[in-house]
Amino acid sequence: MTAPTLTPAPVAPAAPQPGRRVRRRQENLAGYVFLSPWLLGLLGITAIPMLISLYLSFTDYSPLIPLTEANWIGLENYRRMFTADQSYWHAVQVTITFALVAVPLKLASALAVALLLNRTMRGISVFRGLFYLPSLLGGSVALAIVWVSMFNRDGAFNSFLAIFGIEGLPWVNDPDWALSTLILLAVWQFGAPMVIFLAGLKQVPVELYEAASVDGASPWRKFVHITLPMLSPVIFFNLVLETINGFQGFTSAFVLSNGTGGPVDSTLMYSLNLYIAGFVDLNMGYASAMAWVFLLVIGAITVLLFNTGRFWVHYSDNEER
Amino acid sequence: MEPITQAVTPAQGTTRRRLLAAALTVPLLLGAAACGGDDAGGDSGKTELSIFWWGAEKRAELTDQALALYSQKHPDVTFKKTWQGNQGYFDKLATLTAGGNPPDLFQIDDNYISEYAGRGVTLDLTEYTGNGKLDVSKFPESLLKYGEVDGKLAGVALGENTQGLVYDKTLLTKNKLPEPKTGMSWEEFVDWAANVTKVSKLPGTQDASAVYQALWVYLRQNGKDLYAGKQLGFDEADITKWFALWKGARDKGATPTPDVIHEGNASDVSKQLVATGKAGTSWVWANQMPELKKSTDNELGLIAYPGDPSAQWARASMYMSAFRGGKHKDVAVDVINFLANDPEAGKILGTDRGLPPNLDVRKQVAATVEDPNMKQTIAVMDELGKKYGPTAPTVPPQGHSKVRSELIRVAEEVIYSRQTPEQGAAAFVTAAKAAIGAS
Repeated sequence: MTAPTLTPAPVAPAAPQPGRRVRRRQENLAGYVFLSPWLLGLLGITAIPMLISLYLSFTDYSPLIPLTEANWIGLENYRRMFTADQSYWHAVQVTITFALVAVPLKLASALAVALLLNRTMRGISVFRGLFYLPSLLGGSVALAIVWVSMFNRDGAFNSFLAIFGIEGLPWVNDPDWALSTLILLAVWQFGAPMVIFLAGLKQVPVELYEAASVDGASPWRKFVHITLPMLSPVIFFNLVLETINGFQGFTSAFVLSNGTGGPVDSTLMYSLNLYIAGFVDLNMGYASAMAWVFLLVIGAITVLLFNTGRFWVHYSDNEER
Repeated sequence: MEPITQAVTPAQGTTRRRLLAAALTVPLLLGAAACGGDDAGGDSGKTELSIFWWGAEKRAELTDQALALYSQKHPDVTFKKTWQGNQGYFDKLATLTAGGNPPDLFQIDDNYISEYAGRGVTLDLTEYTGNGKLDVSKFPESLLKYGEVDGKLAGVALGENTQGLVYDKTLLTKNKLPEPKTGMSWEEFVDWAANVTKVSKLPGTQDASAVYQALWVYLRQNGKDLYAGKQLGFDEADITKWFALWKGARDKGATPTPDVIHEGNASDVSKQLVATGKAGTSWVWANQMPELKKSTDNELGLIAYPGDPSAQWARASMYMSAFRGGKHKDVAVDVINFLANDPEAGKILGTDRGLPPNLDVRKQVAATVEDPNMKQTIAVMDELGKKYGPTAPTVPPQGHSKVRSELIRVAEEVIYSRQTPEQGAAAFVTAAKAAIGAS
């Protein structure tokens, strides 16, 4: 972060120059100077590596050889992915299951808690803070480790069940349940969408509720006919964001399975499978191909969401105009 | 600061191109300044070698001491040491290599040596053995050979080990149970373990169906092998028999429940069930005994895997390899030579990486070692060493580590009863062929 604080110094004395047009131009250029750290970052860290990875996806590149020695193999990586690699399709299936279950549950709990917290009450901000806390720990490794030990055979959750005389399962080590514990972990971190929902709820004009009350509407009707439509842009925003996040799940699956996607591939999320292909099996060309397909699919899903949004997202300012 | 003033002055008679160039160079130069300093130290006659290994704290301590001794003898050589646990080590090494700056010296094992050697990352040490810079005259022939990939010496063994079955002695004595013996058949072993479960209420043994080195010994006992050159050395029927053997063991109650077996299949030594107290026996490498001992207060015993022990062999537990593109290759080779052959270094390193590769050093270490667990390891490995058959496998081909993870995946499918042994065998053969690129 030193670059942006250093660069203004040289530009400032350059500004007071004769000639208005020159000056205007200089201001533009000064803008570019200010922009350059970001621009270089975009090019160097995002754009160029992305293009290189696109190229690599058509090669047999391994991280152990220089880039220039990678052999061009055309669409072979893509052919293998779609026709020959069983674990690829398994990972796709795991990821879709994860996203389809975790995203709606997370949004629903975020909205439910936001509704509960949307009131004036002594100490309400403490509650808000507490509910937000898990998401601050976000994708942290420590949290995943704690989660694993909680849902072990002799973990805290089973001790809790034992109080009621229920014998628990080895949740994280059971192929039928491992993914569910990951979903639960994701759902529990509902803080970020919750805060956005809270902000959205505050924007709903109180007059609408008052008018509805005068008309004798029940709380449920108010929720369905006022809250949900007024909140729909926020719901949409959260849905897009969480869907993208959901597909990209990695950390918790990595920690739970020691980086293997086990037991028996039950937690083999797409990103984890990609990581294994690139860094464990040293098949970076193939991993790049996976990454590009992933990017296109997530892009397509986002476009799809935007298109369906037209039918249910209600922007109040459109009508005012 | 100079680049900044330069960027200002030309702006007096501004042209767009010049300012743009300035805008681009400033951050670049700042970046370059931040990256500078790489070459420092080169002119003072000092050589700094980077060295990277995996292991526990004990290994770091011993390696530190050995390297300090080298620096003491060669004051112009210093080391930039990096070490970490086994998990994630090879990811990091691959990343460093991809970035174009792998360490000058790095520890590697037979899971990956073919990958690195096959792609020209490792320095071919053959010529150094010819000109006397690397002394391998005191190495056992087969141990040296185990470092050769496609006729090139890709790494020097820093330790020798062999398969070791570690059992909980305290548990057996407490329950008045007999100890397992080297040479007992697989069936006898399974019955023994089932009996341990029955009497002690602790599962007798970890399920070995996902343990590749156990499968390897089993195959060799049946006249097969894990690999035949760059092909698989076994067929579906062999794997079916293997999976069925362990299915039988599970049915008899010789092993823990699937989730516990899965826990024990983690690569971490400290997760081995004999160390965590979740089973009476674990399938490890003999040199890991002292490491296991750290996690448990119980006394541990060490024998060969079941079946004919002549199927076992002296394996290089790990190698030290040098980077082919390193700046100080001669010094790097000299350090390898030192770690492998110097009597004082050998004394410091002990058997942490396995038996010392140099037979003279090995003898000396065996005579002076004080750690009781190391002593026990040496005694057992000496005993087993006399029984090794005449042929040892060559170093596994590229894709071996994938074969290992596929074995775990498929074996667990069978363990969790999602596949029959026959289905598992078919799946494993297909996956293993794909992994090593065999036809």
